Amino acid sequence: MTDINDDKLLQAAAQLDREISPQRDLWPGIAQAMHAPQRAGWAPMFAQAAAVVLLVGASSAITYVAVREPQPQLAQIAPALVFERASFGSNHELGDEFVDARNALVAAMNVELEKLLPTTRADVEANLELIQEAIYEINQALEQEPDNTLLQQRLLSAYREELTLLRRVSGLTRDIMMRNDI
Amino acid sequence: MAALLTTYSSDYSCDMVETHPDTAADEAAWIRRAQRADALAFEKLYRLHVDKVYGLCLRMTGNVSEAEDCTQDAFIQAWHKLTKFRGDSAFSTWLHRVAVNAVLGRMRKAKRERERVDAAAELAAPARAASDDGELRDLAAAIERLPEGARHVFVLHAVYGYSHDEAGDMLGIATGTSKAQLHRARKLLMAELQPQGFTE
Repeated sequence: MTDINDDKLLQAAAQLDREISPQRDLWPGIAQAMHAPQRAGWAPMFAQAAAVVLLVGASSAITYVAVREPQPQLAQIAPALVFERASFGSNHELGDEFVDARNALVAAMNVELEKLLPTTRADVEANLELIQEAIYEINQALEQEPDNTLLQQRLLSAYREELTLLRRVSGLTRDIMMRNDI
Repeated sequence: MAALLTTYSSDYSCDMVETHPDTAADEAAWIRRAQRADALAFEKLYRLHVDKVYGLCLRMTGNVSEAEDCTQDAFIQAWHKLTKFRGDSAFSTWLHRVAVNAVLGRMRKAKRERERVDAAAELAAPARAASDDGELRDLAAAIERLPEGARHVFVLHAVYGYSHDEAGDMLGIATGTSKAQLHRARKLLMAELQPQGFTE
């Protein structure tokens, strides 16, 4: 490679178009995000969602107890399975009502997890950990960009996945939250 | 996100606004109005600058879909951060910085580099880069295939003319790293383009 060739490369690069028109109008999506309410009505919906999950956990436990076989000695729950305080970045922390409901759910789940078969429990824990890691990372990102609607959407999606995982235990199928919940 | 956002309106063309300011004072006025939450003024700024922002996003991501999402992210962030724009630099430069942040944020979080489609042909499409002739088309395609770090530096420095200090600042890397990435990019590009007769 020579300097002459390098110069030609850079000269050619400088000739590339700097302005390129998108194939479609991107303004409608931008306008929607500009005017979308940032947190309207999400707290009650999360509280409801948490209540549903609590109910699911309890019903699953009852179902399990009703059909379970004699089990060996119970193992201790992995300490890593700790629910973080949920938030939407520094500007959008979830309300106390939801946090209380979620804490109650966590306590109930911890009790029920102890009763599951080790393999089942490990699967549940592994899946929850994955989702909670995602929630944690998205929350970290939201600390830097609290108004980033994409991150908010992904956080909501992660919460939804968490709830979906739990709902599957008892066969519930309907969606609980939507994008407009935040 | 794109799919979600594009469902918002089907008649946006009815609301298209005049995009070309007669003077720089017009743009400054639009900025001031937009800073007071005037969405119409911000749409004028969008119409004026979208090609610059999309071009940068497309060159940096090498992917049409990613570039569209990054462009939307950039303008949404610009809307929310507009009050912080003090006019210390040109508005287009400020927007470029926001766009670079949007690109880096998306690529860092989504890690969709491996999913990028070969956008070389798309980059060279006449509708978007009509002035690119055959040789430039090859170069554009080769840039798209560069590793992410080298591509970002090459695009900002060689295509958009930012200094290494500026590029490093925008990308969050040291000036020396920017220079090293440019050297790497040039080496890779020459290795790819020389067999195609680029230097002949």
